[in-house]
Amino acid sequence: MSQKIAALTARVNEKAAGDGAKWTYEGSVPFVDLGVAALGGEVPHVHRFRLGNGLRLLVLVDRSAPVMSYFTWFRVGSRHEKPGKTGLAHLFEHLMFNESEGLKAGEFDRKLEENGAESNAATWLDWTYYYESLPKDRFALAVKLESNRMAKLVLREPQIVSEKEVVANERRMRVDDDVEGIANEVLYKTAFTKHPYHWPTIGWMVDIENFTPADCVAFYKTYYAPNNATIVICGDVREQDVLERIRDAYGVIPASTLPEEDTTPEPVQLESRSVTLKKPTASEKILLGFHGPALGDADHAALSILNEVLFGGRASRMYRELVTTHEVCTDLRGWVSTFRDPGLYEMYFTARTGTPGADVLARADAELARVRDEVVTDEELERAKARLELGLVQSLETASGKAEQIGFYDTVLGDPAAAFRRLEAYRRVTSGEMRTAARRYLTLDARTIINVLPEAAAATGQAAE
Amino acid sequence: MSASTSTDDTAKTPKKTATKTPKTHGSSPRFELPGGAVGYVESSTVVPLVSIVLSFRSGALADPEGRDGLSRLTARMMRRGCKGMTSSEIESAVDRLGGEIGFDVGPSTISLHAQVIRRNLQPFCELLVKVLGTPTFDQEEFDRLKRETVAELIDARDNDRALAGLAFRRAVFPGHPYSRTAAGRPASVEKLTRAEVLATYAKRFVQSDIVLGFAGAITLEEAKTLGALLVHSVPQGPHVENELPEPAHPVGRKLFFVDKPERTQTQILIGTLGTHPRDPDHWPLVAATAVFGGTFTSRMMREIRSKRGWSYGTSARLSIERKRHAFTMGAFPAAADCAPCVSLELKLLEDFTKDGITPRELAFIKNYLIRSHAFEIDTAPKRLGQALETELLDLPADYHTKYLAHVHAVTLETANAAVAKRLSAKDLVVVVVGTASDILDSVTKAIPDLVEHVVIPFDHD
Repeated sequence: MSQKIAALTARVNEKAAGDGAKWTYEGSVPFVDLGVAALGGEVPHVHRFRLGNGLRLLVLVDRSAPVMSYFTWFRVGSRHEKPGKTGLAHLFEHLMFNESEGLKAGEFDRKLEENGAESNAATWLDWTYYYESLPKDRFALAVKLESNRMAKLVLREPQIVSEKEVVANERRMRVDDDVEGIANEVLYKTAFTKHPYHWPTIGWMVDIENFTPADCVAFYKTYYAPNNATIVICGDVREQDVLERIRDAYGVIPASTLPEEDTTPEPVQLESRSVTLKKPTASEKILLGFHGPALGDADHAALSILNEVLFGGRASRMYRELVTTHEVCTDLRGWVSTFRDPGLYEMYFTARTGTPGADVLARADAELARVRDEVVTDEELERAKARLELGLVQSLETASGKAEQIGFYDTVLGDPAAAFRRLEAYRRVTSGEMRTAARRYLTLDARTIINVLPEAAAATGQAAE
Repeated sequence: MSASTSTDDTAKTPKKTATKTPKTHGSSPRFELPGGAVGYVESSTVVPLVSIVLSFRSGALADPEGRDGLSRLTARMMRRGCKGMTSSEIESAVDRLGGEIGFDVGPSTISLHAQVIRRNLQPFCELLVKVLGTPTFDQEEFDRLKRETVAELIDARDNDRALAGLAFRRAVFPGHPYSRTAAGRPASVEKLTRAEVLATYAKRFVQSDIVLGFAGAITLEEAKTLGALLVHSVPQGPHVENELPEPAHPVGRKLFFVDKPERTQTQILIGTLGTHPRDPDHWPLVAATAVFGGTFTSRMMREIRSKRGWSYGTSARLSIERKRHAFTMGAFPAAADCAPCVSLELKLLEDFTKDGITPRELAFIKNYLIRSHAFEIDTAPKRLGQALETELLDLPADYHTKYLAHVHAVTLETANAAVAKRLSAKDLVVVVVGTASDILDSVTKAIPDLVEHVVIPFDHD
């Protein structure tokens, strides 16, 4: 496989206009077999390339449907913003669908829709991505539109003003009028004091309102450049066609000078922090945040499995104890953040109407004590691993699902097939390692607690933010 | 399976990908199963996963008046204990096999949705046989589930969009079974008894009403064998009749204002009756509605989001069901923009019903609907979903399989005639979720010819 792709790369490079438009083939990674070969399918490979200007390209040929997905991952997220300018990375997620040279506002979406494409974008703490899924014979359109907006975005005041208003509305929907949204924002704001994970990806409202065209131009020139991007293509494509078209469209775009990362690590949290909010809701909500490992840390797999034991499905410990047996919650879930830097192990509990949050917290703490004190059973371990395997397989049904997995793990961990390495790591985790992880991270005197009270209860005199 | 679909997410079928390479496939292979049940299979080796959908041909509409939530409570009780297994043991077994199960109750269907890693397909199906065929309906579990359901329904009031949807159904279909929710209301669920659940199971979980589908890493022969195994898990019994009256068109403009404190953002739904899949002008109306609000560059998006920045999202959709269902416009602007947004939406609708769409808009939307169709059939579960939907909602046999031809056949004349005939800007309901003390006055003034307005507390049952 590798020799064939290397030979193809050499042939394509013969027609390159200069070194900036030459490809370097960086090897192929098996997109590991999950039993597909036994069913008559082929084990696919992700081919890795780098263009002379630094643009990275990952290609997975998948002919299961006559479609393709085209993801562009930029290694910029809200962590790269500065105080007073929060939400800028996310605003770009909107601005990038506006005007670019040769393409009036609205034409980008119109061309895609006219050609049957689905498109969208996402921004988070560590990254931003844009994608199109198209019928396979519309590949050239995606290359043309994406390369154009990477180099020739037009940032005019009217569009920026309009998109700021849309983003303000999005913030109202996702945060200000959403009980869980506001609780989550306050959790990160409280748990992180120095690290940029302190501010929300959507940005503070006052910052959103005050962005200027100059802010946008500076951000664009810095971060939207080929040497800060990875294109991931998955679908019914030919490798040679991909290499030639991407080279021709992107090879002329100059690299930018990327600033060195200027992130302050979060100091160790040595005390418990708590905030109480009052909202028009029928029941109390409790959100807990324990400082956790980065996605690439060895402990992440153990803590992820522990999370399945505690929160994964109706057989999980928390569900059984808090929802089924004691009926103190209607809903609960846990998530170990998948960030580049150490994030949080979040736990969210919705109390039954009339049940005090303190009762919920006491029972949750008892379960956390159990996983610190005792090893989980083999049966629980087996279930947790099976659930994680199912989740991975489910995410790989479509071309866009595969492309997203490849791009995410490549962007955060530098390995396009890391999803499968994680699956292997899950299989190796022991119950003893999980107990150690629980003892390391689930410390009650160094966590953050957000308690949301129904307004009627808050009015009885409890302290509130 | 979702019992209703929209113009922008309607499952569609065979396809010519883009314009060059005509590629069609028929509907999923259909086969007979014991007791009058039918099965479908969509085989694929893309991932080592098998999806199973087992549907019964009656849903929430069959719940007696005042007993909303009965079908759903019955379905949820299925995983709360079966012969030889407690609820907890069922859940553990599902997880251990790398599986997932869920029950979904729509207006016309009760469905078990399941997925499992291929290597555990056989033991997983054996587990489903026990779950479906030997539920214990334990009284203690029943009481617990009722308390849990009531608590969930109260918590759901945190979700403003869900509140708007609930009020909209009640407003568009007053007195019709479509006004009810499958989930029920706290008051209706509290009244339900174990005896009613037992009777529902005995009457409605019968072989003759089963429509069963498999998708993914499974062959036709395996599907037939496992299908028979699953069907035999429930008893034989007569088909459940589900006669439904035709819903009546709203008359005049009515406002239903759901009053909730401290809303900085509002939810707006405007609508009336829409279309039935067997209407001769169904596809023209689908195409025209997509022009109006079915894409990111639709008229509604352009005017409400792109030009004014009033709402993060906005759309128009047509739901389909066994009888004529709703045409719905939605937006969620800031409270200060709510009244002007209602006013603008009404103006857009007036223009749409009066002038229809343009030749350029029609050409654009036909390209979009035809070329994007590849994404409606790009996975085995989606293809299976189309086959099941056709069977369960009694859609025309070629509804999905001739989708491209249906869209091709739409002309400007048929599209505009359909809009003029089916939609009205004069007879409609407007639902707003917001804070009445802040914006009710301005919203009522924004609706000319308003014949009635009703304020509903957000925590009203």
